Amino acid sequence: MSGPADFIFYAAAAMTVGAAILVAILPNILYAAVALLFSFAGVAGLYVLLSADFLAATQILVYVGGILVLLLFAVFLSNRISDGKTTNPTHFRLPAAAICLVLFGVLSYAAVSTPYAVKKGVYLPTTADIGELLMTRYLLPFEVASVLLLAALIGAALLSRPDRAASVKGEMEEGKR
Amino acid sequence: MFLGNLASLRYFLPEFAVTATILLLVVLHVVTKSPRSTASGFLSLLGVGAAIFLAGVAPAGAGRSIFEGMVAHDGFAVFFKVLTALATLVVIFMSMDSRDLAGRSQAEYYIFLLSTLLGMFLLSSATDIVMLYLALELVSIPSYLLAGYLKGQERSTEAAMKYVVYGATASGVMIYGFSILFGLTGSTQVAEIGRSLAAGKATLPMLLASVMVAVGFGYKIAAVPFHMWSPDVYEGAPTPATAFFSVGPKAAGFAVLVRFYYTVFAAADPGTGLWRLTSAVDWPFLFAALSALTMTVGNLVAVKQSNVKRLLAYSSIAHAGYMLMGFVLLSSAGIEAILFYLVVYLFMNLGAFYVVVLVSNATRGEEISDFTGLGSRAPFAAVALSIFLFALTGIPPFSGFIGKVYLFAEVIHRGVYWLAVVAALNSVVSLYYYTRIVRAMFFEEPKDASAIPVPAVSGALLVLLVAPTLILGVYWEPVARIAADSVRMLAF
Repeated sequence: MSGPADFIFYAAAAMTVGAAILVAILPNILYAAVALLFSFAGVAGLYVLLSADFLAATQILVYVGGILVLLLFAVFLSNRISDGKTTNPTHFRLPAAAICLVLFGVLSYAAVSTPYAVKKGVYLPTTADIGELLMTRYLLPFEVASVLLLAALIGAALLSRPDRAASVKGEMEEGKR
Repeated sequence: MFLGNLASLRYFLPEFAVTATILLLVVLHVVTKSPRSTASGFLSLLGVGAAIFLAGVAPAGAGRSIFEGMVAHDGFAVFFKVLTALATLVVIFMSMDSRDLAGRSQAEYYIFLLSTLLGMFLLSSATDIVMLYLALELVSIPSYLLAGYLKGQERSTEAAMKYVVYGATASGVMIYGFSILFGLTGSTQVAEIGRSLAAGKATLPMLLASVMVAVGFGYKIAAVPFHMWSPDVYEGAPTPATAFFSVGPKAAGFAVLVRFYYTVFAAADPGTGLWRLTSAVDWPFLFAALSALTMTVGNLVAVKQSNVKRLLAYSSIAHAGYMLMGFVLLSSAGIEAILFYLVVYLFMNLGAFYVVVLVSNATRGEEISDFTGLGSRAPFAAVALSIFLFALTGIPPFSGFIGKVYLFAEVIHRGVYWLAVVAALNSVVSLYYYTRIVRAMFFEEPKDASAIPVPAVSGALLVLLVAPTLILGVYWEPVARIAADSVRMLAF
């Protein structure tokens, strides 16, 4: 990779990591959600750099376009989410920070020093290949994913459906507190 | 070589049976007027029964790689398919009997149960990390829903929430480990990764990968220190679901643990029944430490519990520790001991949970104090629970003893004496808390002495769970032989 590509890589990486840090430290959940948008977009940029065109488009469509919007809706529609109290106070901040730093060091060293199997390839559109692989080699995972989605869908419907007997009981418990 | 997709279909019949049942349950739920009827339970029983039959009758032979190398069809996979389906079958019976679930919509519950079962089938046979990860999620996500099924009950919701958060973290770490392995080898095939790693000498990334993957699998089998979720989940989930978690996903977790580590980080020495490490990473020692830690923490914390479900949760953590002993030995006799122990554990643990279901149906409680005087209130259930608890302790002549003998014998044979000593001490500790329940049942005066009725069907199922626990304690040869065959056919 030459100069401009390097520059774009560092810009995308900085956006991804910087926004991710903001997600972790911002106290306002809405700001954190918006910061997540930039983190996702940065990852999409990294995919573009790796010439994974299909993944980049999916990343934008699914994560930026779908999941994040859903997340924002969830934040807007949940009452009492903004004045959330931390019920779980943080202990051991210093040891945790030390462990995280060591972990960061080890992971970075491993990432830099590892002789990864680098594939030199011609950069071509990947969509056709992915489509073919999903219908041949990865057919079974592709089909199994549909069962997983079915179960998740039914679960989502079950959790969000107002269940009369259970919700009355739930409100009673709520009232007691 | 790999079998193509179409040619693989005939080796995939148990999975078809389960998937078809899931779809039929959806249809049944739509067309039926009363979502609370027991029809979906019976349909699930039929489907799982068919799956056991289809898995059991088709001999795997030398084993083959099907679906373009995504999953293996071998004796090892068949063993775990039958085992997990059997556990699911018992759990369906328990669920139909449980008051936890009565009055709630039934079909969804069984859909989640069967989706998890399909995930466990695939998890125990996956040979490609894409398939493996998907199977793991297929086990996890419906499990979260099962844990939170008692909507409106705070404990159940808390259980589901904790399960989701810990589960997501564990699988995130595991995926990081997979990404390192893929980066090193450029392959998603487990066998291929193993061969490439054996050729290279990248010690640090391999160490990281083996530890990170251990987080994901350790979470599934509830090994310390990845066990934090299990007591709360076990306590809050509906009791039949708890029984299911303690046996099914745990067994599938052991299946994938053995298959993955013995393929990726070790190579078989033909003819000796032993494996050797392919790198400088001493993961067996890591897991031996984990095993000792798991059984010790599980047993010591169980001593203090007053809720029987929570106590059994810690006890099942301890049992994961015992079974891990077989995993670290790098010998087929060690794996065989795990397989045998899982069979024994299935009956004794599900049995213990079933008595908890029966008692809490009547008393609406799961504290040890709810079990006082059970010896006079429901003598048969009390005797059955005592048998299960003594078996869990590993006292002769019950099946748990034979399971432990196999594990201990191989640990000593392979010269890991310190682990055998730790496990022996742990068994002594476990005797204390198991007998505390027995003492409450037989030697303490109940607050309420009225008899607890045990319906005939429940009694029959209890007999079916007690019988193997007793019989395997004196005549275990056939099951041991099946376990040995299943290891031998482990084909990669």
